[in-house]
Amino acid sequence: MSEQGQKENIEVWEDLVHIKDLVISLIICSVTSLGGYLIAPEDQQPLIFGLIGAVLGFVISASIIKPKRTFSYMDEE
Amino acid sequence: MDVILIVQMVGIAIFGAALYTIIGIAPGTDETAVLAPVTLVLVIAGLEPILVLTFFIAAIVAKKLTDSIPVAVAGIPGGVMSAPMVEHAMVLKKYGMPDVSIRKMASGSVIGTIISVPLSLLLATALVPLADVIEQYSSQIFFFGAIFLALMTKNRWFAVLSIVPFAFVIQGLRNLYWELDIVPEDTTVFTSFFLGITIGPVILKLFELLNRRKRRNLPRYGTKEITMRKTKTDKGFPNPFKILDKNETISSAVSSVFGVVTFFMSPVGMTIFLGEMIASRIKDPVKRAARAISSMDGLTNAAYLAGTLVPLIAIGYPLSPTALGPGHALFNAPPVFTYEHNLHHILSLNDFVAATVIGAVIAISITFFITIKYAQQICAFVFKYIPHEAMLGLFFGLVMMLAYMDAGVLNIAGVLVIGLLAGFLHRKGVNYGVQFMTLYAAPWLVGLIF
Repeated sequence: MSEQGQKENIEVWEDLVHIKDLVISLIICSVTSLGGYLIAPEDQQPLIFGLIGAVLGFVISASIIKPKRTFSYMDEE
Repeated sequence: MDVILIVQMVGIAIFGAALYTIIGIAPGTDETAVLAPVTLVLVIAGLEPILVLTFFIAAIVAKKLTDSIPVAVAGIPGGVMSAPMVEHAMVLKKYGMPDVSIRKMASGSVIGTIISVPLSLLLATALVPLADVIEQYSSQIFFFGAIFLALMTKNRWFAVLSIVPFAFVIQGLRNLYWELDIVPEDTTVFTSFFLGITIGPVILKLFELLNRRKRRNLPRYGTKEITMRKTKTDKGFPNPFKILDKNETISSAVSSVFGVVTFFMSPVGMTIFLGEMIASRIKDPVKRAARAISSMDGLTNAAYLAGTLVPLIAIGYPLSPTALGPGHALFNAPPVFTYEHNLHHILSLNDFVAATVIGAVIAISITFFITIKYAQQICAFVFKYIPHEAMLGLFFGLVMMLAYMDAGVLNIAGVLVIGLLAGFLHRKGVNYGVQFMTLYAAPWLVGLIF
């Protein structure tokens, strides 16, 4: 994970990402999606397994990577 | 129509509305990139056609309702379509009224939906006689469509010249797959190329990160600062006609009609054009901004629904930017849907009406309610807990999987090639419309030359 206060995030698709985190997430999601598709049993719809894999990858990535946004409420005056 | 089917339609509409309420809020989610893959997967997975349409309508209405939220709260567009609204929403934000912006935009959306559903159905019925002619010359129409759209872009000659080479790359890959017996001769790889074009700009950017010098020269940022003002929530069910004043209601309605009639044009272009036209007449900055955003949201919503429904009902070919982009899986998703056999051929007019009405009504009642009441909480959740990296990963993973499904390991490389080229063209100003039309016209175009 990135160190606090350092400027090392870059912009991809209108939001900020950290390169290392992005690579981790791309690998996780590709492995889970393709993996899900490949391990699907013969008589089943492999696509469904791939989709479940994709969602799983998304959840894993979301839980181990911190968003690059600082968020706060402004007090009402 | 039996009760079980209606229950299923309601169910899938709730699913679509809920899913795209969340996705709509996430910043930078391009409509085509987030809607096309999921719809495609549902089609290929064998979901009943009428349920697919219900899902799509609910999803698009929900997405259009919520993608204005980050614009209002943080000035970050939730999608390409909401980008033109940023300027006006920022005015309201400056005056400390982001919640007003959300209400006005969401109400504009509702008016857009109410107007465009019946009007699109009427327009579609009127255009049915033209369908046979259009069907016969579809490749030619796509080719001239690509040229026309290319001429409308800023970098027009570059865009025009890119059409033939791009078509050659596409057909070249297809021929390679046939030659190597990766896919049977009568199968045309389409889906994964389409997705390659869709995420092309991201793929190009990712490849550039591999270049050390490029990487060093990229602008670096800390974290994105987002602040929101806390607002109170109201009781009771919100009424869009009370939220908008009379003038705003009228101009939203007029823009919506405009959006339906110009369904074949670029919705972003129309939104900018109309927004400026309406806004320039009003002096008071707050009133001007409120009028502009409610009308713009009405127009985008109407243009999206009409752009999907009119070509789908009348023609069966994707002849609008919306149909070519987010809604494309409804027209062509081999092996389930082809141009000779898609929703246009399968569903009756009654089915279209039922699916549209159920999808739209459910999405509006769930999402409008949630949008007005819990806009802040939802925004806070997405901004705090959903990293952008995970979103990019999800779409990248989906594309890899669908590439493999279409034509095996080699096609992963093929899709990367398409993505890199498409990303490069995109950066030079050749928009999605030109590229998609080229993809459709490629077999005919290459066949014409040889």
